[in-house]
Amino acid sequence: MREPDVKGPDGPGSSGRRHEEELVESGGRGAAAVAALLARFDKPGPATPPAATGGAGGAWSLDGLASAIASKAARFLHGAPVDAETDLFEAGATSVDAVELVAALDRELDVRLSLDDVFADARPRRLAQRWLRTTGQPALATAPTAAPVDEEPPQSDDNDDLALITADLARADRLPWCGDPDPAPPRRILLTGATGFLGSHMLFDLLRHSRAHLVCLVRADSAQAAEQRLAEALTSFALPWSAEVKRRITVLVGDIRQPRLGLSDDRWAALAQELDSIVNVAAAVDFLRGYHSLRRTNVLGALTLAELAMTGPAKPLHHISSVAVFNELGVTSMGEDDPVAHVDRLAAGYDKAKWAAEAALRRARERGLTVTFLRPGGIVGHTRTGAYNGHDISSGYMSVISRYRTAPAMRYLNVAPVDWVSRIATAVVCEPSAWGQNYHLTGRANTLPELVRDMALGGMNVQVLGWDDWLADFLSRMERDPVPELEFLARVLRNPAAQKLCEATLLGPAATSERTDAFIARHKLPPATRYDAKAQLKNYERMARDGLVVLPRREDPPHLWFPETMRGKLGPVDGSPDTRCAFALTLSIASMYQLTEHRTIHVSGTVTCPRLHKDPLTVEDGEIWVRPDEGIPLRHGTDHPLLRYRLALRDSDGQAWWLEGWKTARARTDYWKQARTLTVEAGREGEPASLSGVMKVPGKSYRREQIDGIRVNPALSLQEQRTAKLTWLLWFTQQMVQGLAEPTLRAGADLLDLRRDAIDRDKDRFQAKLKKLDKDRERLT
Amino acid sequence: MTLRPLHIQLDGATLEQIPFEASDGAELGLCRIAADGAAGTDRPAVLLLHGLTASSDIFTLPETRNLVDVLLDAGYEPWLLDWRGSCRLPHNERRERYSFDDVALFDIPEAVAYIRGRIGERRLFVVAHCLGAISLSMSMTAGLVPGLAGVVAQGVFMTPKVSGRTRLRLHLGGELLRTRWAHLPVDFKKVGLRSRYTPVFALASLSADCDDPTCQILQNSAWGTGASLFAHENLDKITHDRLAELFGTLPTWVLPHLRRMELAHSVVRWNPGGHRYGRLPENALDHADRIDCPVMLVSGSDNKIWLDSNELCYDVLTRRFPQLDVRYVEVPGYGHMDPIIGRGAALDVFGPVVRFLDEHRRSGAVVGS
Repeated sequence: MREPDVKGPDGPGSSGRRHEEELVESGGRGAAAVAALLARFDKPGPATPPAATGGAGGAWSLDGLASAIASKAARFLHGAPVDAETDLFEAGATSVDAVELVAALDRELDVRLSLDDVFADARPRRLAQRWLRTTGQPALATAPTAAPVDEEPPQSDDNDDLALITADLARADRLPWCGDPDPAPPRRILLTGATGFLGSHMLFDLLRHSRAHLVCLVRADSAQAAEQRLAEALTSFALPWSAEVKRRITVLVGDIRQPRLGLSDDRWAALAQELDSIVNVAAAVDFLRGYHSLRRTNVLGALTLAELAMTGPAKPLHHISSVAVFNELGVTSMGEDDPVAHVDRLAAGYDKAKWAAEAALRRARERGLTVTFLRPGGIVGHTRTGAYNGHDISSGYMSVISRYRTAPAMRYLNVAPVDWVSRIATAVVCEPSAWGQNYHLTGRANTLPELVRDMALGGMNVQVLGWDDWLADFLSRMERDPVPELEFLARVLRNPAAQKLCEATLLGPAATSERTDAFIARHKLPPATRYDAKAQLKNYERMARDGLVVLPRREDPPHLWFPETMRGKLGPVDGSPDTRCAFALTLSIASMYQLTEHRTIHVSGTVTCPRLHKDPLTVEDGEIWVRPDEGIPLRHGTDHPLLRYRLALRDSDGQAWWLEGWKTARARTDYWKQARTLTVEAGREGEPASLSGVMKVPGKSYRREQIDGIRVNPALSLQEQRTAKLTWLLWFTQQMVQGLAEPTLRAGADLLDLRRDAIDRDKDRFQAKLKKLDKDRERLT
Repeated sequence: MTLRPLHIQLDGATLEQIPFEASDGAELGLCRIAADGAAGTDRPAVLLLHGLTASSDIFTLPETRNLVDVLLDAGYEPWLLDWRGSCRLPHNERRERYSFDDVALFDIPEAVAYIRGRIGERRLFVVAHCLGAISLSMSMTAGLVPGLAGVVAQGVFMTPKVSGRTRLRLHLGGELLRTRWAHLPVDFKKVGLRSRYTPVFALASLSADCDDPTCQILQNSAWGTGASLFAHENLDKITHDRLAELFGTLPTWVLPHLRRMELAHSVVRWNPGGHRYGRLPENALDHADRIDCPVMLVSGSDNKIWLDSNELCYDVLTRRFPQLDVRYVEVPGYGHMDPIIGRGAALDVFGPVVRFLDEHRRSGAVVGS
């Protein structure tokens, strides 16, 4: 096990590297996910590179090693051209590819790089430099004469990023000058990042809440592939793709990382003329990759869009930034117009890139560009569809919290659901008076007690640990028993720079949002509400379906349970019940969620019925359904089903039986009896019913067992136990009262139906009036 | 002629208004919207049924992309039936009682028969909203409209269900109401401030966000029941200002039938059996096996009047009648009316509806004749 090494003495990367090496080298125990990857990789690969260029730690030349790394990497990139200066992530590599590459380099070239090295800067030449420097070889053995792309300044590790940022910011000074845009609602909007989580939701909100036509910039080889990619992305986020969507969008094949978006000059010029608004949602969101790896998408892309906005008629640029620009440990306030963090104190490449994009666009502001910064915090699942971003850190936290029932002692969780973020961002885009300002789309931050309470309400009581303890606990659990769905979070939390980012996020202040709040109030938009248990429900269900979170299950220790005894007589289906039988059941629930969402109760215990078997039968699987189908009668009439018992039984000879019972509410006054009487049918598995009869809960045992006999998970505090018991009783009583009352209500309504309505009464009144008139006339004449 | 003209903006289509009277003498409204140049067409027909107190106007809102536009563009021929609960017709404001039995027995089957006569072998779909869908379910289970190509039911279908609070106010409050007033108007401008309906408007205005009394009585309180007909922000501003035109007076004599259905959570007949109404089933759910076409149930995720009735209906139908072809589509963020009249309805609702129609446009054999 490894202690978390937040501030590694030998710079970023050390602890993570050690860990990756352990994982890769130990292979088997505890690292199933990585081991599985490696196993896949163990297939005979291409021959190792010619030994002449180097060999086991031998004398690699920089160029030789760089091209060797490039050729190894090319395997993962499905034919994309890779040279020493290609950023592997830009070329399409995924985090999984990075793991495989690290393993391949170690095995085949004996070059031991860490994942963090790859994430920090994934150009083969830089990887080669790193390794050569680590092994003490002169990194510039054969000095590269080729000028690096984009005229970057010479780099010397830690200060590289700052130098590069300075150079990138200077690009803003090459932008044209421009005036104010026409303050009218947009008619033709360029949207980038439409295949992303927030972007796809914004695509819909922009279509719903404006009459604009959307031009969506999508990276693909052809227009058809681009449309396909967009359609798949929308569908994956539970958004409907249809002809109605297609008729209002134009899919534009392009790449935000390329100069002029990779468009032809004509296309670029036409775009500059026809657009009247630009919404930049595209971003590479990765907390492991370094600044260099992210800058082309996150910084240069934003600058390209600024250029487009400032070319031709002036257009507003709405830039989705992030509260990550405040991600400095010790920042005291996060207001919309507060100064952002010091870039030299930002740890993660992502934070730096978001910072640099804003800084560059602020410079563009001085050149006349109307640029709006929309800064979301964590963007979590849709409150209605539950669609979420599986690689979002906040979703990862929720997953860990629900799975291990431990939470880090955070101050605030600055999260907002994607539907709200998208709606507010869209409203800003469509409202000219709102342009050119900074907005925080952080919603209403969740505090730790609120989070713990929400979980408790769902029947999942969590333990709060200090950040360091929680981190150590999580990482050690992941090592002992890896969960593939959480591997991304573990990887982030093993990376020192990303760790700092996470810590800063959780321990920082809550972001404030006066301007956003005022905007919302002015335009009667949905106000920010806390992402509470109810809002999270759909998201949790979806994550549970995907295996990301674990909802309480039947196999878990029950949340609450109590015994139920039933006695009665069963007999052949067409005969009279003649055999005394008894049920000794234990009814249990795994969580309150199970009750409110599925209205089911688990059943275990034994059934004694000599007609079935001389020995008691064991309930192998049993479920009670409370008010099945909302109590809709099984056939026309006033008999409403109240409870349905369904048990799978096994006798001591191993034979399987089924048993089904119904409690029914009728329009009669013997409610107490109705609540306790179960009409039962039973038979052999796969055969029709052979037995039937009536079982009853003895009135005397009811209170003793079902109220006083309730037991609650002893791991909970006494107060939690009492609450659980009361909640159950209240819920069940309410269901039973409602169910039992329904037939009577219907009978009552039948009586009310006999009352005359206003038409008849008015007719009578009219008649009376006529009579009176007649009388008056008689008197007068 | 008492039928109010349809509010429609025709662009490349022609409106054919058909004088139509049910066989019990009630005047109805039926019209066909034909795409220009589509004579001798093979377009499948789609009959649209509105909800109670609304009218076919809800399918032709000129200010948004409406269902008729979408159907025309997707290659269908929309037919609009104003059944007797329509606010374009005078029945709701008269003092002659009708029940949904009449709609299920006369209006829908006779309109379907007429359209069949006109379209010949072409396929016929029905898209029905709210009480249009409830009545349709009764016609279908009575076997009066066999051989449809597919049915889309929005909001509610065979298992009406409301919240406990709405129940209390609808069933008890409705009882008080119906013995005193024959109608409950929703157009505040028409009834004025000093009318006897003012207390209901006052009740509806409690903690309302919108200042428009008509919006309050529909959105904030759904005729005083405390439910809500639509998510306010999903309406276009123009639609919002036209609410009084889109929704008419509520006849109170239908309330007992609604109550009976809601308490039974199933569509039941109002009139006792016998010669006339005996053709309708006592309980539609018992005869759901007579449904002979694919059914798509649609509901807003935030339907605050019928709640998740359609999801329940899906569960019940698939459990009790596994042979039926039923699907359920939930529209996130929508209420009850806005899946039809919302400004984003074309994107979120009509797109999936058309996809369903397209799926069954050619496939499957036509049952019956």
